[in-house]
Parts: sequence; structure tokens; C-alpha cells
Amino acid sequence: MDNVVEILLILISTIFVTNFVLARFLGICPFLGVSSRIETSIGMGMAVIFVITLAALSSWLIDKFVLIPFDLVYLRTIVFILVIASLVQFVEMVIRKTSPALYNALGIFLPLITTNCAVLAVALLVVQKEMDLFPMLFFAIGASTGFTVALILMAGIREHTVHARIPKVLQGTPISLITAGLMALSFLGFAGLVRM
Amino acid sequence: MGRLIIVLTAICLVATIALARVYDITKGPIAEQERLRTVSAIKAVLPAFNNDIDKDAKEVVVGKDKRDRDIRMKFYTGKRDESPVGMAFQVIAPDGYAGDISILMGVTPEGEITGIEIISQRETPGLGNKILQEKWRGEFKGRSLEDGPKLAVKKDGGEIDQFSGATISPRAVTNAVKRGLEIYRKEFNHGG
Amino acid sequence: MADSNVASSEIAELEPVSGASWLNLREVSGDLVRGLWEEIPLFRLVLGMCPTLAVTTSAVNGVGMGIATAFVLVSSNIMISLLRKIIPDMIRIPAFIIVIASFVTITDLMMAAFTPELHHALGIFIPLIVVNCIVLARAEAFASKNGPLRSTADGLGMGIGFTIVLILLGSLREVLGNGTWFGMPALTGIMELFNYEYQPMIVMVLPPGAFIGLGLFVALANKIEERRKGKK
Repeated sequence: MDNVVEILLILISTIFVTNFVLARFLGICPFLGVSSRIETSIGMGMAVIFVITLAALSSWLIDKFVLIPFDLVYLRTIVFILVIASLVQFVEMVIRKTSPALYNALGIFLPLITTNCAVLAVALLVVQKEMDLFPMLFFAIGASTGFTVALILMAGIREHTVHARIPKVLQGTPISLITAGLMALSFLGFAGLVRM
Repeated sequence: MGRLIIVLTAICLVATIALARVYDITKGPIAEQERLRTVSAIKAVLPAFNNDIDKDAKEVVVGKDKRDRDIRMKFYTGKRDESPVGMAFQVIAPDGYAGDISILMGVTPEGEITGIEIISQRETPGLGNKILQEKWRGEFKGRSLEDGPKLAVKKDGGEIDQFSGATISPRAVTNAVKRGLEIYRKEFNHGG
Repeated sequence: MADSNVASSEIAELEPVSGASWLNLREVSGDLVRGLWEEIPLFRLVLGMCPTLAVTTSAVNGVGMGIATAFVLVSSNIMISLLRKIIPDMIRIPAFIIVIASFVTITDLMMAAFTPELHHALGIFIPLIVVNCIVLARAEAFASKNGPLRSTADGLGMGIGFTIVLILLGSLREVLGNGTWFGMPALTGIMELFNYEYQPMIVMVLPPGAFIGLGLFVALANKIEERRKGKK
């Protein structure tokens, strides 16, 4: 029972209280780039959840069984990013085979998951915080789900405001950033909900 | 294909060797910075001492946590010309508004607080993080377990100031400091 | 002056392989200046947002991050440019990543050893320089196709441009959100002259302030660019 509560707390805190996009500023580039339609956002979000969870797990294992025992902790950045790059290649192949439609919809954003700072950040955070296996897994799932939630919310807002009259200087990036700012403001309301 | 592997391996090798070299060069300074950070935090909470404080450290197991693992606390003894002036140790307040607050506290051999420093916190800027203010932290100086119920925030019947709209942070710190004093008394038989 | 910049960058687009003109100063200065306005990261190129928003809670953090990123940009640009003829096309991305990650690790270790407070303040965003899209983008778009001198200029221009943006956003957030500038009393000092205690706009140092602040700056940059184009 205790464990279930702990897992719930981890999920609530990573998805809402410290949302990885709106509070930690991770994954902004894809967040602004992909989120113009809800369908693509869901697809992208799923891919990201898969990649982040696998990446966190692999990085955690490599750190625990190779980097720490051999005093190679300073190689974390370079090893983790290579693991992530390989994982993304792999996911790309899988998606291309199983759902060509999704593959085409995501286009260039799929390989760009490699440079999604959220992926590397989650891998680094779980080893820096010295998490155990199960909290680590749920932290990764929560963090990536938080990204997906933010992505879908942004897409929803965009679909609704696609016909709004926006001043020329604000069109494109500025209005997206301001929208994100307002979303971040509302998510601040979750602060203090859970103590992590 | 062979060329791909050779080039990639070569680059990896050169990178690894270069990084190992830089690591060797920076390992010393990094450890030194860590040590300096600890020492300067301790300097801020203890009266003047002139021993190698990080060498006079004792690790004590003070209990077990939720997962039945030992909770270890490190106690640093500050001495002036070989006679102890106080001990510094870290306590954690788990009930901060946004998470753990790490506090370093200094206590005289008689159990009187000589100072507290907030080592890490994530409280709300402008509200809870007023616990960082020197004025507020100074309210703890000279207090001990003899203060009894006075060692609490005003809302709980004590004398420590709480900030309007942000009681949780100061309360967490105050209670953690009180717990620290109790642990100190139990482990070292000091204080009222 | 504006005209020759546009001209030299057009030349850059047409003749990316500039082995013969390794000391063409017009080209090199064009590369340098391009990163300072025309293709300034963040305001005009939509890249490198994560560290910008996270780190600019104070102007001095912005400067620190800017210099660290510039160092990585210039070093990896030079290295990749020197290796560009040796690296087979198919493995160029992993190769670039290894080079960039190495320089990032070097920066991380150096900062931990010699600038500990800045290292602590920038935290996880130092290793995240490796996924700062600016670095990989310049490696792919420029350094892999041009000589080392031009790549240095390109990296330097982008790095300085990036730092300027960080300073601007960091200053805005620090002055409004904390009353200080580079740690020195700014609004707090001015308000004190009127016997008034400055109550900081805390939202500016919190996430919403970062997003909205950057959004307004980009809008401003768009407006300025519109005016410039209008004048020509």
C-alpha cells in the first residue's frame, strides 16, 4: 500500500507539480514545433514516453553496473547521449514499419527526439538523485507523461485559436511562448500539492 | 563499412583519452571545492575554531528510515586550541512546502544553538524562501531545548517569527532544528 | 555595411566549400556578424530555448551559460571542420555527437573545478549543452561544410549572439523579478531613494515570466526586422 502511494505521489509530482515542460523548461523545442494538431501530439507524446522510459532505464543500468564501479562517472553525458541516439534510431525503425502514417506525420521531429533535452535530463536526474529501480521507472514515465500532457494541451489551445486574429509581430513563436507562459502560470497552482 | 567502424572507434578512443586526462586534472580541484564548501558552511554556524574540522568528523547512526536503512548523520567538532567550541551537523526538514529543506546547525557543548544555515531548499521565492534571511535565522541563536515550547513558530505558541502567508517553511525549519537538538542531546549527552 | 553582410552570406550559401578562400576576410566577418543579428539564436533562429528559459533567473547566470555554450560551439565547430573530410557521411551525426559531448564534458569538469558557484547555479543545464540544438545545427549546417577559420567565426558569432540574448532576458527577469542587476541593487536602489521598498514581481523569476519575457523579446525582434526590411 505504501508503495502505491509513493508511486502516485511520484506521478502527480512529475506530471503536474513540476511539469517537465512548464516548470522545468525541458523539451521546449519539440513542444513548440509539433503541437499544432492534437493527433500528432498524441503520437509524438507516446513516442517520447517510450524513448524516455527506455533511455532512463538503460542509462540507470549502465551507470549502476559500469560507470560507478569503474569510476567513470564523468563519462555520463557522452555515454547517455549515445544510448539515447541509438534508442531513437531504433524507435524510428519500429514506427516506420508499424505505422507509416505516423512516421510521415512526425517527419523530422522523430530523429529530433534525440535533441529533446527532456530525454537526457531525465536520464541524468535519475542517476543524480540516486533513485531505486521502481521509483526511477515511474519518475521517467511521469516526466514523459507530463511532457505529453503539456503537448496535448498546447495542441488543443492551438486548434481552438487557429482562426484568431493575432498581431503580425506576435505570430508564430511569440504567441506560442506567451501561451506557454499562461499555461505555466496555471500549473503554478499545483505547487506544494505534493512534496518530492 | 569497415571505414565507418574505424573512424567512429578512432573518434571514441581519442575522446575517451582526452576526457580521462581532463578528469585527472580536475579531480583534485573538484574535491577541494567540495571540502571548501562544507568548511565555509560550518564556519558560518560555529564560533571561531582552528582545527581541521572536516577531519574531526564522526558519523553516527541515529535510527532507521522507512525502508529500514540506517540514517547516518555526520557530526563535525570545532575546536579552538584543542578545546571543543561546538558541533555542526545537518538536519533535514521533510515537511517543507515544496520538499526537503537541508539545514546545517551549530551547537555548543552545552546544547545552545550558535547558528543555522539553509543548505538547500526549494521553497517559494519571496514567500517561503525568506527562511534564507540572516535576520530570521539569527532568531535561533542562543536557543536550546531549555526554551521548551518557546522554540516554535508564533502560530504554534512559540517565539520564532513566521512570515504571513508562508507558515509552512519556517515551521518545518523550526521543528527540524528542535529535532536536531534532541538527537544531539541523545547522542552526546549534552544540553538541557 | 548592411548590404555587404547580406551579400557575403549569400555567397556563403552558394559556395559552401571554401577551401580556396581560407583567408577571405569578407566571408569570415560575414560569418561572425550573422550570428549577431540576422540569424541570432532565439530571437530569429528558434533554437536553444530550454537553457535560455531555465538559466536566466539572473543576468550573471545568463553570462555564464552563454560563455560555456560559446566555448562548446567554437571548439566543436573547429574540430568538426578539421575532421569534415575524414568522417563518412553515414555516421556523421554520431560522430558530431561524440565530439560535442566531449567538449561539453570538458566544460562541465572545468567549471566544477574552477567556478563552483556558477556550476551549481547552472546545474543540469551544463551537460544539456550537448542537446542544445544550436550546437548540433551549426555543426551540421556549417562546420561540416566549411574550413576551420570560417567555422570559428560562425561559432563565435552564434555564441556571442546567444550570450547577448541570455544577458537581455536574464537582466529583464532579474531587474523586475528581484530588483537587482548582476547582484547589485537596481530597482531596489532606485526605489530606496524615494523611501519605498521595491516589492519584486516574483512571477518574472518563475516559469511564466520566462516564457512571456522571451515571447515579448521575439516579438520585438520581429518588429525591428520588419522595420529594417521596410526601410530597404
